[in-house]
Amino acid sequence: MKRILLLILLAWSPAAFGVVRVVTTLPDLADFTRQVGGEKVSVDFIVRGDQNPHFVEVKPSYMMRLKSADLFLTIGMELEMWAPQIVDGSRNASLEVVDLSKTITKLEIPSRVDASQGDVHRFGNPHYWLDPRNVRPMIAEIVDALAKVSPADEPEFRANADAYLKKLDAKIAVWERTMTPYAGAKIVTFHKSWSYFAAWLGLDVAGEVEPKPGIVPSPSHSAEIIQLVRSAGIKAIIVEPFYDIAAPDQIARSTGAKVLRLATSTGGVDQATDYIALMDYNIATLAGALK
Amino acid sequence: MPSTLIQEESMYRFRALCVLCALAACALPADDAQTQTSVNPDISVIPRFLISTNDGEKLSEGTRVFSRPDLQFEELEIAFQSYLNPFSKADVVLTLPGPDLEAGKLGIEEAYATVFRGLPLDLNVRFGKYRVEFGKLNIVHPHAWPFVTAPLLQARFLGEAINDLGISASVLLPTGDIYTKLTVDLLRGTSIAGVTGIADTTGASPYYANAARLMSFFPLGEMSDCEAGLSGYTGIHDPYWRDRFWYGNLDFKYKYRPDFYTSLVVQGEYLYNTRTAHQDGSLVPFLGADGKPEARKITTSGFYLYADCQFFKIYSIGARYDWTESPYHADERAHGIAVFVGYYPVEETLGLRLQYANTTTETPAAQPAAVSSAGLTQSVNSIALQVLFSLGPHKAHPF
Repeated sequence: MKRILLLILLAWSPAAFGVVRVVTTLPDLADFTRQVGGEKVSVDFIVRGDQNPHFVEVKPSYMMRLKSADLFLTIGMELEMWAPQIVDGSRNASLEVVDLSKTITKLEIPSRVDASQGDVHRFGNPHYWLDPRNVRPMIAEIVDALAKVSPADEPEFRANADAYLKKLDAKIAVWERTMTPYAGAKIVTFHKSWSYFAAWLGLDVAGEVEPKPGIVPSPSHSAEIIQLVRSAGIKAIIVEPFYDIAAPDQIARSTGAKVLRLATSTGGVDQATDYIALMDYNIATLAGALK
Repeated sequence: MPSTLIQEESMYRFRALCVLCALAACALPADDAQTQTSVNPDISVIPRFLISTNDGEKLSEGTRVFSRPDLQFEELEIAFQSYLNPFSKADVVLTLPGPDLEAGKLGIEEAYATVFRGLPLDLNVRFGKYRVEFGKLNIVHPHAWPFVTAPLLQARFLGEAINDLGISASVLLPTGDIYTKLTVDLLRGTSIAGVTGIADTTGASPYYANAARLMSFFPLGEMSDCEAGLSGYTGIHDPYWRDRFWYGNLDFKYKYRPDFYTSLVVQGEYLYNTRTAHQDGSLVPFLGADGKPEARKITTSGFYLYADCQFFKIYSIGARYDWTESPYHADERAHGIAVFVGYYPVEETLGLRLQYANTTTETPAAQPAAVSSAGLTQSVNSIALQVLFSLGPHKAHPF
């Protein structure tokens, strides 16, 4: 009897159907999962590429996506403060939540965390996926998570991961060659999203359009940024698609710098059809502005 | 106030203060701040203040003059939220009501635990004291409203809110990809006296009440969603005659959010009340043609509809229309419009709301002569400025 029950349980496991059901917070994580999982995974994501991942409304429809999922992949580091409410609302007792930041070397861990600092992330800057060298440890976590659910497919997951990382490494070399002439260049960003990206390429983020994280730009702070851009000869102001362009445009008009709509996630701009295309677009656009 | 009562009040406040200090001490930063804060509950404190004026105070003298603006303390809310274990979490909300800061008593607004994992049928079970899921607005605390004053139907049919001791169970129904939830409550019935019922002064245990809500959530596209709900609430509103009331409620909410800075919400509720009553809420008996008390079947209703538009992320503007009868008298009506603007310079940490409202109340002539407004239709204009701030973590907003 016990053997029959065990067989029935195994027959109903995801591995038996050959598909691991994965939901991710960001579309980039969905892209990585598809690259690794191939046809062995079905993937959905919650935040569109043109949405601010910090602020997501807790909708019942998101809970439904998680209800039948095996895995929920997150960036972690409290980027997705809304995620626990969606997980709890999904009523999925067997959902495995995976934090992909576990082995990431974290930047900008604050020594002080209180509201006077704005919306500061207490575990450090969470935008680590914008340094493509961090994709390797993320992929390793994804492989482990998928293999835990579907052990029989682990060799396939590892082979897919290796193939993707080989392709990514080749692209990283191209991107680094493209940006080498601009090492040390100063840039201004709207939000502190680009610290890992800048550290990778040797860029200097001289200031942010937001006076503090999450705080709407003020005229006085914009005046300070204008002064900074002029004095440092800054050529590029990077703004994500979901931020208001008014303050950056004003700074650009006053200084001659260019406002660049760079995306932080797949789908954030039309050209960013996957993670590699996202980085292709961001690098090409930034290099064009820094010439 | 007698000195013994003053001493009791002082001891009560002292004990409450000690509890708050102990909790605050637990939340003080330690060397290993991340570990320390991971075992402390989330604590938030939200006080609200009000400056208001209206032109209704001297209407009985035939004069319409705006009163001197009154600065009032409206309410202080202290909320604690935490996971108890991997299977359940708890919420405790204490409130200190205004307007008298000195005389106000810290009370338990809500204190409940929710088991959200590990139960059969993926049930969620809640027990404790809580705002009941009836309609859309009843579970929303006033600091989260876009307007300053409650809809007229809420004030007349629900009192402050349906907030009771009870047990609630909810289950997701199998409707494919559509989120459909059924919630059922067994309540102690203690809030009914405040819900325009009749207070039982005999000291007997209240009669149980029941509530239920069936809701569905419909994504309409990438930028818009809709929720619709059907609720019911029944209990004994008159403990002396054991007369029962039934509320049925339809609610809907539509939200369009094209980007981070802009949204439009349209929300409304319609409440239908039916009850058997031998007397009204003021204990005035219903008399038959023979002058003897008789039971009457009363059917009344009310609704509200509002729209609120957020723009540039920090501003909002909205309007609301109310129409309502009263629980015991169909000819005792009120209707009104309210227009409100909000300014939230840094999310909910600081907020200002300015509201203008015009409310018209119709009191039937058949009221006892002691009611000075009997047979009158009165229209009152009011202006209110509400200021609130919020300490503590800001959770993501539910739809």
